[in-house]
Amino acid sequence: MGGDDAAAESATTERNAANEVNINIRCSNGSKFSVQIGLDSTVRSFKEAVAHNCDISSDQQRLIYKGRILKDDQPLQSYGLEADHTVHLVRGFSPSNTTGGTNSGGGGGGNTTTANTRGAGANEGGGLGGPGFGASPFPGLGGNNGMGGGGLNGLFGAGFPDLEQMQQPFLSNPNLMRDIMNTPAMQNLINNPDIVRNLIMNNPQMQELMDRNPELAHILNDPSTLRQTLEATRNPEIMREMMRNTDRAMSNIESSPEGFNMLRRMYENVQEPFLNATTMAGNTGNDAAAVRNQSTNPSTTNSEATSPVPNTNPLPNPWSSTGTGGGGQTNTRRSTTTGGDARQPAPTGLGGLGLPDLEGMMGGMPDTAMLTQLMQNPAISQMMQSILSNPQTMNQILGVNNEQRGMPDLNSLREVMQNPEFLRLFSSPETLQQLLSFQQTLLSQLGQQQSAQEPGQTGGGTGPLNNMGLEMLSSMFGGLGAGSLAVPNRSNEPPEQLYATQLSQLQEMGFFDTQENIRALIATSGNVHAAVERLLGNPGQ
Amino acid sequence: MTLGSSGSSVVVPRNFRLLEELEKGEKGIGDGTVSYGMDDGDDIYMRSWTGTIIGPYNTVHEGRIYQLKLFCDKDYPEKPPSVRFHSRINMTCVNHETGVVESKKFGLLANWQQRFTMEDILTQLKKEMAASHNRKLVQPPEVGAYVMFLNVNVILSLWIWGSHIIQFWY
Repeated sequence: MGGDDAAAESATTERNAANEVNINIRCSNGSKFSVQIGLDSTVRSFKEAVAHNCDISSDQQRLIYKGRILKDDQPLQSYGLEADHTVHLVRGFSPSNTTGGTNSGGGGGGNTTTANTRGAGANEGGGLGGPGFGASPFPGLGGNNGMGGGGLNGLFGAGFPDLEQMQQPFLSNPNLMRDIMNTPAMQNLINNPDIVRNLIMNNPQMQELMDRNPELAHILNDPSTLRQTLEATRNPEIMREMMRNTDRAMSNIESSPEGFNMLRRMYENVQEPFLNATTMAGNTGNDAAAVRNQSTNPSTTNSEATSPVPNTNPLPNPWSSTGTGGGGQTNTRRSTTTGGDARQPAPTGLGGLGLPDLEGMMGGMPDTAMLTQLMQNPAISQMMQSILSNPQTMNQILGVNNEQRGMPDLNSLREVMQNPEFLRLFSSPETLQQLLSFQQTLLSQLGQQQSAQEPGQTGGGTGPLNNMGLEMLSSMFGGLGAGSLAVPNRSNEPPEQLYATQLSQLQEMGFFDTQENIRALIATSGNVHAAVERLLGNPGQ
Repeated sequence: MTLGSSGSSVVVPRNFRLLEELEKGEKGIGDGTVSYGMDDGDDIYMRSWTGTIIGPYNTVHEGRIYQLKLFCDKDYPEKPPSVRFHSRINMTCVNHETGVVESKKFGLLANWQQRFTMEDILTQLKKEMAASHNRKLVQPPEVGAYVMFLNVNVILSLWIWGSHIIQFWY
């Protein structure tokens, strides 16, 4: 039995290790050979030994013995394998897996190079977009230079609850999501699934991904899939049900024979490229960024002409409506200080100043709960990134031409989000498990809002290792969350009293229409800079 | 334990018959596309068995590995064992909901003879997959594809939610 080479190899091995036994391998094409291995070895090492005798790599082998598919992490003796028994060998799937892996690796390298180049652009973009962007995240970053370590800890301690609270309005308040969906822009998106398909098809990486995975292309081109996705965004109940189904299905598969390998193959072949495709969209937008930078200069000039008097009043406190009593007082003081500091560094670019101070925070091991919460950011941030990197995509979604209103902010936001730490995080082999925990955490948040907030606060004081970019985004998302929360919380007070300070600022700038100013402030949650942009962008309103 | 059979001059005891089949399954005698073995090696009655069939070439089943359960009761081999697919499959002789191979539609079970073995069942099922009325039937997606479908939906939904956050903020 077996060829001459196999026999010679078998004889040689027998002399060296007497405790190993002879196992016969039968391929699906009919050929047979023998392998020497100890029965206490794992199936994984057995596959590697088998790979020496045939042209199937170990990760493509499917071994069947007595009607069972052997799992990689099980020892051979657990299946009752003994000397001179026969195992059937089948090739698991096509060799395209190797090509996919190579592409993923190359893509990662490209991301690193491009991200370094974009790092310089981030400063420029930050400077241009600083006055127009929501001021809450940047004062925090600018103020880092003037604060000690304790201040930083306190600042980021306040950031995590905001991160939690950013998601709660959308997940636990169906009315808020429904109101958003009822806007004309969203109705236009829902009534025309082709827009979503165009969003997906415009991405070159997505095209390449679908060429390699016809199965994925079939799913994405299916109109019912697109409609189901859009319905899920409209109805949070459907979203929760969909996530529950996914979690249940993955648990069932993992517990079945070969199930974990199937999940890992599916992740390596489909899901990781899928995530990379949306993340790497920034590369294609690199050239457009230069054009956008030029186009933002006139907007800046117009803004300066319209605002001859510099804003000397403190900026609105983004955490006042969400912090507790004691925390509120602390945040109030720091916010005032950072407000003053933010104006000086603005011309030189705010985005890059915070990084050196952030490094001092690194230390200690992040706990599981905090790491899980951090993983919630990339899923949203990479989607925002793919939207922001394509101006046409923004126009399609909003249904209006927002070039004058949103362009400076888009540049700034896009540059900040394209941080190399995110790309490294996406390429982590542990992402599959973290994705599962991400879904579970999201589900637990729905039922237990109170307990969901405490882990964030507990972990706030400890910065995770090699997550500088995530810290920046946490601060940014904190500002976004506070802005979102302000809408339902402040609806009880009359706008004239709630925005008295902002109204006086607008009148000093030359906007004398009180009703128009009140509408702009309500739409922007009391942000003076955003209100100014809104008033300038929509003269007719 | 001897089971009565007036039609045979030599009666092989049930346990010896099953031991022969177990030995054959361990040695892997055959063409290499079907495999079977006991579920529980300590079961003295040797009733529960697991089998796999590798989908034949040039059919929609190519590249798939189907898992089955075979249950040999005390009256085996006088009576055929019950066969059920654990993997999802679309075949004319398989019940869609339960995966049970229906004896009325599968000739080997309908015309069972004592000399037939579990290997014969698996081999005949494989030939049935390659038959003209089964080789082109649309197969249900493998479980991995179903999970990928759900995951794609989740990712797309989160993507659109992200765009809503942007739109809401601006």
